[in-house]
Amino acid sequence: MRLLHMVCLALLSTLSTSALSAVFTFTAIPDENESQLRTRFEKVALYLEKELGVEVKYVPVKSYSAAVTAFRNNQVQLAWFGGLSGVQARRLVPGSSAVAQGNEDQFFKSYFIAHKSADLIPSDSFPNLNGLTFTFGSKSSTSGRLMPQFFIERNLGKKSEDVFTRIGFSGDHSRTITQVQAGAYQVGAVNYKVWETAVENGTVDLEKVNVIWQSPAYPDYQWTVREGVDKKFGAGFKAKIEAALLGMKDPDLLKSFPRHSFVPAENADYEPIESVAKAIGLID
Amino acid sequence: MFKSLPFIGYWQKTTLSLWLIAAQCFYFADTEIISLDPWNEFRLMVEGFIRPDFFATEYLLEAMWQTVSFALLGVVFGLLWGAPLSLVYSNRFVATLCALTRSIHEIFWALLFLQIFGLSPITGILAIGLPYGATFARVFHDILLQSPKTTVQTLPYGTDKVSRYFYGRISHVLVPIMAYIRYRFECALRSSAVLGFIGMPTLGFYLETAFRQGHYHEGAALLMLFIALIGTISLWCRPRLIAVYFVAALFTLPSIPPVDGALLWRFITQDILPPALQNLSTWSQIDLGVMKSLSNWSLDLLVEQAFPGMIVTLLLALVSLAMAHGIAVAGSGLASSLLTGRFISKVTHACLLVIRSVPEYIFAFIFMMLLGPSMLPAMLALALHNGALIAYLTVRQSDTTQVGPHYNGRIDGYCYDVLPQIYPNLMGLLFYRFEVILRETAIFGILGIASLGFYIDSGFSEIRYSTALFLMGCTALLNIVVDIISRRLLTANTGTQISCARDSATRADR
Repeated sequence: MRLLHMVCLALLSTLSTSALSAVFTFTAIPDENESQLRTRFEKVALYLEKELGVEVKYVPVKSYSAAVTAFRNNQVQLAWFGGLSGVQARRLVPGSSAVAQGNEDQFFKSYFIAHKSADLIPSDSFPNLNGLTFTFGSKSSTSGRLMPQFFIERNLGKKSEDVFTRIGFSGDHSRTITQVQAGAYQVGAVNYKVWETAVENGTVDLEKVNVIWQSPAYPDYQWTVREGVDKKFGAGFKAKIEAALLGMKDPDLLKSFPRHSFVPAENADYEPIESVAKAIGLID
Repeated sequence: MFKSLPFIGYWQKTTLSLWLIAAQCFYFADTEIISLDPWNEFRLMVEGFIRPDFFATEYLLEAMWQTVSFALLGVVFGLLWGAPLSLVYSNRFVATLCALTRSIHEIFWALLFLQIFGLSPITGILAIGLPYGATFARVFHDILLQSPKTTVQTLPYGTDKVSRYFYGRISHVLVPIMAYIRYRFECALRSSAVLGFIGMPTLGFYLETAFRQGHYHEGAALLMLFIALIGTISLWCRPRLIAVYFVAALFTLPSIPPVDGALLWRFITQDILPPALQNLSTWSQIDLGVMKSLSNWSLDLLVEQAFPGMIVTLLLALVSLAMAHGIAVAGSGLASSLLTGRFISKVTHACLLVIRSVPEYIFAFIFMMLLGPSMLPAMLALALHNGALIAYLTVRQSDTTQVGPHYNGRIDGYCYDVLPQIYPNLMGLLFYRFEVILRETAIFGILGIASLGFYIDSGFSEIRYSTALFLMGCTALLNIVVDIISRRLLTANTGTQISCARDSATRADR
C-alpha cells in the first residue's frame, strides 16, 4: 500500500512541473450581461498587467462552481466571486483572502418579484408565500438562492420545499425575471441590481411583474486572492493586487462588473454568509 | 394480454405495449402546463430567428473551430482505446467496464474531469473520448462478429496471426467501420457543442449564454451556424482532410493549464470520499461508528435524491420513447417520396435535418418558455430530436423499398405496402435509442428538471463530490439494469426478429 502511494505521488508530481510558469491568471463572472465576456475582461487583464508588472491572463468561466474549481486547482490566483462561492473557495484553499469588494456589495440585497396573478401586495413585512410556485436563480448564487432561501425559511419557519408547491432554479437572474413575467413561476428571487438594470432598459413589463419584498442587506461579491501569491510572484504581491483593485477608477473597466468602485474587504466580512450557508445545509 | 387476439401481430403488440406503458408513465409524470403569458418572450425569440445577428459573438470562428477540434480529438482518443478493446470485448469484465463507461453522459464525465483538470482541453477530450471509446468497443465487436470467417480458412498454412487478423477479418468490415466512425464524428460534434454548456470553449458556451440571457438574435445566429456545420459535414469532412484537421487541432488546442499534483492527490484520496471517510489516515480507524455514519449517508442519498431522481428519469425516458415513436412514424411517412411525392418529402427531409441537429437543450428551453417548468418540455424535446433522427434513418430505407403493382400512393397503400417493410427497422432503432434517451435526460437536469442529472449537477455546484459520484454510480447502474432488462425482454419474445432489426439498426446508423 505504501509503495503504491509513493508511485502514485511520484507520477502525479511530474504533472505539476509546469506549474512554475509565472503568468498571473484571474477569472470573473459578472452578475448581469455575460455577452462579450472575454473582450471586456481582457481590458481588465491589461489594466492589471500594467499595475502588477507581470503577465496577466483572463479565463472565462461559465458558472460559480467552475470558478471555484479553477481557484482550488490553482488555475486562477484571483477571482471575482459571489458571496457564497467566495466562502466555498476560501474553505477549499485555506490562507486565501478576500481583498476587495464592490462598493454596492457591502449592502447587497435580493428582491422578491411576483407575477400579478399571485395577488401579492408590495410590503415591508415578509409576504405569505405558502402554496405558491417559486424560482431561485442559479444553484450557487448568493442573491438568487442562498439569502432568499434563508429569509424564506427563517420567516416562514419551515423548509422551502414545504412552503412551495413547485421550486425551480432558473439558472440566471435575467431568466428569473423572464420566467416570472411569463407566469411560469408566481414568485422569484432576483439580484436587485439586475432587476434595476432591467427596469431601466425597459425589458420588464411592470404591469405583469413587480417587486413585492426586499431583503435586509448582506455582503456579496468580492475579489479573493489565492494563498501563496507572494511566494510565487514576490513579496508584497498581494498588497499590490489589492492596491490595483482599489485603484481601479476607469468607469469603462468598472462597468464590466458592474460596480461603482471597489472598497477594501476581509474574510470576516463574509462570516454571515458562511453561517447562513451552514444553516440551510449548503455547506457542512 | 393479447393471447385472445390472434390477429394482432408481433409488432402491433409491441407498439401497443409501448404506448400503454407510456400512457401510464404520462399519468404519473408531472406534465402540468403552467404559463400565463409566454407570448411576449416567444415574440422576442421569433424576432431573433428572423433577424439573427452573426456578429454579436466574440471569437466566433475560434469557437466553431474548437467545436470541430474537440470532436475530432475526442473521437481519435475514443478510437485509440476503444478499437483494441473491441478485440477482447467478449470478456465479461471488459464488457461491463465499457457498459459502465458508456452509461454516463458526456456532461457528467466533463463535470468530473473539470474538478481534476479544470477548464483544460483534456477535460473536453476525455469527456468525449471515454464514452465514445466504450461505444466503439461494443459496435466494432458486433460488426466483427458479423464478418465472414471464410477468408481466414483459405489463408495459406503458417500465415502469422497479425496478417490473418487484418487480411482475414478487418478488411471485410473496413467499410462499415469507417462509416460508423463518420457517424460518430457527427455525434461528437453535437457532444462537443453541448460541453460548451458547462464551460468548454465551444459553440455551446456562447449558445447557452445567449439563450439564457435572452440575447435571441445572437442565439439564433449561433444555432444556425451549428446546424449548418452539421448539415455540411460531408462537404468539409473529406477523408483526406482529416489528417490535416487532426494536426491543426493538436496545434490550436487552448493552452493546457498546469495540474497541481498534490491537489489531484487530495481530490482522489479525500474530496471524493463520503464525509465519514474523510480525514481518516489509516484503514484501522474505520470502526462501527464510521460504518454507521457511512450507511446513514448513503441511505439518505438513496431516499432523498437517487430514488426520486431515478423515477423521474425513467418516467421521462419512457414517455419520450413513445412520443419519439409517434414522431418517427409520422415523420418517415411524410418524408417518404412514395407517399407524399417529391416536393413534400424534400421539405420534410430538410425539416428532419434541422430538428435532429438542434441540441435537445434548445428545444427544452423554448418549450419551457411556452409550457412552463414541468417535465413536458423535456419530453417533447427528447421526442422531437430522437423521433426526427429515427425518421431520417428509416426514410433512407423506405426510399429504396420495392412496392407491389397495386400500390396506390395513398396512406392506406403506404400502410399496407411500405410500413410493414420498414417497421421492424424503425422499432429496432427506437429501442436502440432508448439507451441514448435515458442518458440524455442528464442535460435536462441542468435545466432544472429533477432527473438524476439535476442532483448530480447540484452535488457538483455544492462542491460535494462524493454525493455527485455516488449519484453518477446510481445513474450508471440504472442504465445498465435497463439495458439488461430490455435486452432480455426483446430477445426472449422475439429471438431472431429483433436481432435482424438491431442488425439493420446498426447498419442504418451508418
